Amino acid sequence: MNRATIDGKTITAPEGHTILDAATESGIEIPTLCWYPGLSVVGNCRICLVSVDGAEKLIPACAAPIEDGMKIETRSPAAVDNRRSVLSLLLERYPTTNLDAGAEPANIFESYLADYGVKPTTANQRELPLRSGDERPDDPMIRHDMSTCILCTRCVRACEETQVVGVLDTAERGGVTQIIVGTDGDPDKASCTWCGECVRVCPTNAIFEFLPRERFGEELKATDKVARSVCPFCGVGCQIDLHAKDDTIVRVTSPAPTEITPNDGSTCVKGRFGYDFTSHEDRLNKPLIRKGWEKENDRWEWRGGTDSLRRTGPWQTIEGEGATMKPAAPPRRQGKRLKDLPLLERTAEVSANRVATPIDWYEPFREATWEEAFELTAQELTRIHEDDGPDGLAVFASAKCTNEENYLLQRLFRARFGTNNIDHCTRMCHATSVSAMSDTLATAAASGSMREVEHASDVIFIAGANTAETHPVFGAALKRAHERGAKLVVADPRKVELAARADVHLQMTPGTDVALFNGMLNHVFAMQLEDTDFITKRVKNIDAIRQSVEPYTPERASAITGIPAELIREAAEIYAGGPNTSTLWAMGLTQHLRGHDMVISLLNLILCCGMIGRWGAAMMPVRGQNNVQGASDMGAIPFVYPDYQPVADPANREKFSRAWGVDPETMSLTPGMKVTEIAKKGSPVRALYIMGENPIISDPDIARAEEWFSKVDFLAVQDLFLTETARYADVVLPGAAFSEKSGTYVNTERRIQVTEKAVNPPGEALADWEIVTEISKRCGLESPFESPDEIMEEINSLAPSWTGVSYERLKGAGLQYPVPAMDHPGTSFLFPETFPTDDGLANLHPVEYAPPDELPDDEFPYVMSTGRQLYHWHTGTMTRRSAGLDQREPTPTIEINPEDAAELGVKDGDLVKVTSKRNSIVISTRTSFRVAPKQVFVPFHFREAAANLLTNPVLESHAKMPELKITAVRIEPV
Amino acid sequence: MQEAAEYQSVFVGAAREKLDDIMSRYPTKRAALLPALWIVQEERDWIPEGAMIEIAELLDITAAQVKGVATFYTMYHKHPVGENFIQVCTTSPCNVCGAENVVKALLKETGCGELGATSPDGKFTITEVECLGACGFATPIMVNDDFLDSVTMETVPEVVARYRDGKATG
Repeated sequence: MNRATIDGKTITAPEGHTILDAATESGIEIPTLCWYPGLSVVGNCRICLVSVDGAEKLIPACAAPIEDGMKIETRSPAAVDNRRSVLSLLLERYPTTNLDAGAEPANIFESYLADYGVKPTTANQRELPLRSGDERPDDPMIRHDMSTCILCTRCVRACEETQVVGVLDTAERGGVTQIIVGTDGDPDKASCTWCGECVRVCPTNAIFEFLPRERFGEELKATDKVARSVCPFCGVGCQIDLHAKDDTIVRVTSPAPTEITPNDGSTCVKGRFGYDFTSHEDRLNKPLIRKGWEKENDRWEWRGGTDSLRRTGPWQTIEGEGATMKPAAPPRRQGKRLKDLPLLERTAEVSANRVATPIDWYEPFREATWEEAFELTAQELTRIHEDDGPDGLAVFASAKCTNEENYLLQRLFRARFGTNNIDHCTRMCHATSVSAMSDTLATAAASGSMREVEHASDVIFIAGANTAETHPVFGAALKRAHERGAKLVVADPRKVELAARADVHLQMTPGTDVALFNGMLNHVFAMQLEDTDFITKRVKNIDAIRQSVEPYTPERASAITGIPAELIREAAEIYAGGPNTSTLWAMGLTQHLRGHDMVISLLNLILCCGMIGRWGAAMMPVRGQNNVQGASDMGAIPFVYPDYQPVADPANREKFSRAWGVDPETMSLTPGMKVTEIAKKGSPVRALYIMGENPIISDPDIARAEEWFSKVDFLAVQDLFLTETARYADVVLPGAAFSEKSGTYVNTERRIQVTEKAVNPPGEALADWEIVTEISKRCGLESPFESPDEIMEEINSLAPSWTGVSYERLKGAGLQYPVPAMDHPGTSFLFPETFPTDDGLANLHPVEYAPPDELPDDEFPYVMSTGRQLYHWHTGTMTRRSAGLDQREPTPTIEINPEDAAELGVKDGDLVKVTSKRNSIVISTRTSFRVAPKQVFVPFHFREAAANLLTNPVLESHAKMPELKITAVRIEPV
Repeated sequence: MQEAAEYQSVFVGAAREKLDDIMSRYPTKRAALLPALWIVQEERDWIPEGAMIEIAELLDITAAQVKGVATFYTMYHKHPVGENFIQVCTTSPCNVCGAENVVKALLKETGCGELGATSPDGKFTITEVECLGACGFATPIMVNDDFLDSVTMETVPEVVARYRDGKATG
């Protein structure tokens, strides 16, 4: 520790801390412009210069380490003089219009001018022109006004170091030095991801968010409220600040990087620019009831059409829309070689309301009061429960809603209606991971933290996860880890961004993952690279594993997977060599007929190499939605109560029935049906309640799902918009967006975070927990909740891992469960000593490779996989109503290898018809080397070319997960 | 500036071999940036933006970084130049000895009209430079890699004529 004095105050600072660090820590402010927390120090602005006793010259506080005995004056006359001259020099080329008017400082630079009393010379005395640079014209999200640029280069460093992209740099150095965007000003060509990190760090608003300024202008300066929230998109759980004015979100910013947040203050494009769906004109602001429901003698009766026509509308089905013509997709750099890039070409699409809810979708409905909507919903749920018993009802909870809301919903259906038919979209997501991890380790969540992967892992193995696009903030952390020297091994059929930068890319034939992992493990054993100590102490059934992987020599694995045997060996050696290897996986493994087996074989590899249970060796299924972990934790799955307490155990039933005030005998001991079994021909379910899900776009083989939804007896949908699913409902209940309610969410690293309400829901819309509480009451279940934190009190009394959770404690960074006591700090990584199995040992299960259900043949020669794009989210309900995001990807595309495109005679933007055994869609072509020949990729966000019309509804046997990743298709030019 | 719709790679064949050889001499790929830019200029006479992207991909750096460096050095041409690139020293001693008239004569004779512009026939581009290190032989000029001293406004027509029909040496 060094002792020094700063402005007369004695301070101590650890070795290596700069003068600036020490001053900031002791509350002394030193102005900075080019310095920014977390970025490399360049020391070029000279505003932080301070006087140090005995030094001849002023010393830059941001770059100089503090030394023992230093006497520092931060506001000595010399330092202040210097600051004034730095500021007046910068002011020579800074627009003074705002300053002349005597307005409030618009940014940090202008506040320094005010603080140090630096006034502009009159405008006509200016000799130097204002600065200029690339301006990003027509950009829907980020624009530049380089006349206010002071060349601090924070944006350049943030783009390169924080996001590891490198769109920006300084060019034309000299009199006209300027910030450039790539070589020709086109951000797309320069691989921009529109994350807005540059907007965040700019000290003069030279780089700014376009839409907020365009829409709200001066109002941005005087917002009423800033609320801390959690991003509503992926499982990273980024904390964001919502700025509200007159009950509207006007902009989103991210927390300071000095605060502890899962995102270290970064966001991706969706987090920073994708919030405007909340104020889209399509928001439902009143309950809707299907015309035909009428009240007579205190009972609601259906007086509408006959049963078969009851739930149709004047709209086109998804199948019908799939066949319509589409606009050509704009060209993108994504996965293209240089010679395929259009030169000097910029695209500016307008996407005004393209996907707004068509007006005729409202036609079968009438506006209703909440009283009517609640009454009808409660009456019909109760009636069908009486007529058909518990199994006649089912409920889809939501990975987008809070823990409290999911908890209440499963509580209602379990306690009042005695059914375990409760599920949510985890079924299409990580259900096979959960079944595999439960079988092997008796756990259902990630073992580690994102932070440890970024900072402590020596090797990062990613299997079937396009993290840079689907979890961009975590993706950036992985790129930073790679930059610091961690090795990156990626197993993916597509050459996605991380695969392209990986040390080893294992580009396999889709669906052959078991053969790959078994092959890697075979080589690990052959080279004796396994962790024998870990195996002896922590796992059982090792002999069966050795035996089962024996036939999977790298050569045989190579024959199955198409990966050269040498690469399999190299990957195995890197993986086992660690010393600390983290393992990440996502939908690329799980959404398969053999998804469970794929995860099992990966767990075998993890466990035999001992890559779990210590800092730096994390096992991470990367969760897709912002609360998919939480919804499962809350028991919104068919076989467990909250905190994974099995419903089949009578002791658990006893405990929960007592807490919920019902007779245990009325609650079911039988695990319920799953999403993929409920909405299916022959299912016994006659009434379905859906909170915030849109299965008509997300279920496989949509045409059949849509038919089922149009025939079910009673359908209640709680949502923000009249979605493709909601249009078939009897009752539509308008819920609240993430910004309009408070509650808690769990991210992919088990971090429970609390959000603050920023604005009110539109019109009469209610917070989802309020809706569920009211329906619970009307169905006769005692639900005395006045606020989300009261619901949390009931949750933590029943969920042992959540005992120490309270809203008060969740403020700030949140808590990573297990939090077994009020004084417990949370758990950043699990299983240092034992696993939560009965005997504490991991159960290894041998698995064999088996091919996917649908293999390409002469009739259907291509393998189609589905997934997400950077700019869109799941069924598109939110992102396609977000102006900036939708403008980036305005229309559905199929990614196809240029070789195949040439063979088919199609080029970028041409329409093709894609046909599987089930259905066909018309979609725009995008050539890209990211996909291998004879493989194609179709995102599932788009109603007008729904990928899931084509997908195979065959189900995995353990988790009932459909094989969404492999569909054999045929492609024809249109 | 306008480029052909289809970009043709610079680094193929011999040019690629040359770059690979240069890269092999340095511990990092990015160290080969300046020579890579020279190769482009040798091949294309100037450095198109497409080539900057190509270099970025080959050297694992960003396109913006390549442009940042390329624009720092005046000897890399960021715009197409004439077949013959003429640099005239107009530093004080040469100016005293009539360099300004040499520039005027060159602009007129070649048809360039102004400094930095390319003559309508595409044969010439003229720039002023600081000191070519031949103050005793004012006015020195460089045409491509040829060094010519004691140029006067009177000898300019002969020089221009010599280069107009192909890149003569000496």
